[in-house]
Amino acid sequence: MIMGLLKWAAAIVLGFALGVGSALLVIGFGAQRASDAAGAWTINRLAGSQAADPYTRASVARVGLLALAQSETIYFNLAEDEDGRRLSQACRYELTGGPMPARWWSITLYASDNYLPRNQGDALSIDATSVRADEAGRWAATVSAASPDAENWISSDAAGDGFSLTLRLYNPTDAARAAPSDVPTPRLRTLSCGDST
Amino acid sequence: MKGWLPFLLVVAIVGVAAHAATVIATPRAIMNVAMTRLAENGGPGWRHAPRTTADARNIVRPSPDLAYSACVYDLADGPMTITMAPSEDYWSLSLYAANSDNFFTRNDRAAREGVAITLVRRGAAPPPGATEVVESPSARGVAIQRRLAPTAGAYAIADAARRGDLCEAFAAR
Repeated sequence: MIMGLLKWAAAIVLGFALGVGSALLVIGFGAQRASDAAGAWTINRLAGSQAADPYTRASVARVGLLALAQSETIYFNLAEDEDGRRLSQACRYELTGGPMPARWWSITLYASDNYLPRNQGDALSIDATSVRADEAGRWAATVSAASPDAENWISSDAAGDGFSLTLRLYNPTDAARAAPSDVPTPRLRTLSCGDST
Repeated sequence: MKGWLPFLLVVAIVGVAAHAATVIATPRAIMNVAMTRLAENGGPGWRHAPRTTADARNIVRPSPDLAYSACVYDLADGPMTITMAPSEDYWSLSLYAANSDNFFTRNDRAAREGVAITLVRRGAAPPPGATEVVESPSARGVAIQRRLAPTAGAYAIADAARRGDLCEAFAAR
């Protein structure tokens, strides 16, 4: 009798653990599953959308709660360098780009916990109003832990390993909304690793 | 092997149910935590966040270039009035249901003079004298203001613009 009860209790506990565990695993990878590529960046077209499926809704809530729908803002995310390695505070990167098909844009660095890194550099992001660009609108920014000798800087100080960059396009053009994968996203290049310069 | 079939069947049924419940409950649970954090330190109405710094921890992935305001609404006691005055550059008002869906957004291009809405529960009759009526899919949710403010000066201008904004129980005016 007791053995029988224990058997059914074990079945319920095992089923519950498998169900919850598999759900959390799928949600953890959900952002990748529902993403399109734009260069090396990824886009989640359904962020904030009422058309999002339950898995997308759950994964977006975890990494981008209160995101705007794509009609208002397109969010791009970059978490790897040109060789597929996780972005690291120990490396120095160059980010190059040009005019964006939107009314306003910004690029912000987030630590692996999805919050801003706790640093004092006052260089958490660059945006369309502050970036120093040439006459054609082309710009280059350094992503590094220490302040570089460069006009545009995003600080990775205190970001650790596995940080990411988020590009926001506010009021994107009709063409960008229709084909976000064709947006000319900035390019990231690793300059050096293993030092703090 | 045959004796294990009922055991495996129970594992499968409980597993599928737990999997579905977890996926559906996750955004609501995260939203509940966020709404609790946003509603802390004061009564109902707009909470105007200070300029976003590296220490901001209420919501994941905040933009340091925007001035945020948040209002946790609850329509259990009836409709609410939500207003947002315009400011100099980009601004938007967006509404999020309890499951995190962004079901309404209005920006400065669509409403140059600002926004004034009456928020009601989906299917509820709008109150007499209501301005633009917006239906919320859930009784609770969050309204978020975003105002472009990449500098301290721009933040001060945005901050001044939002001080008279309302997020309160509807009263005919």
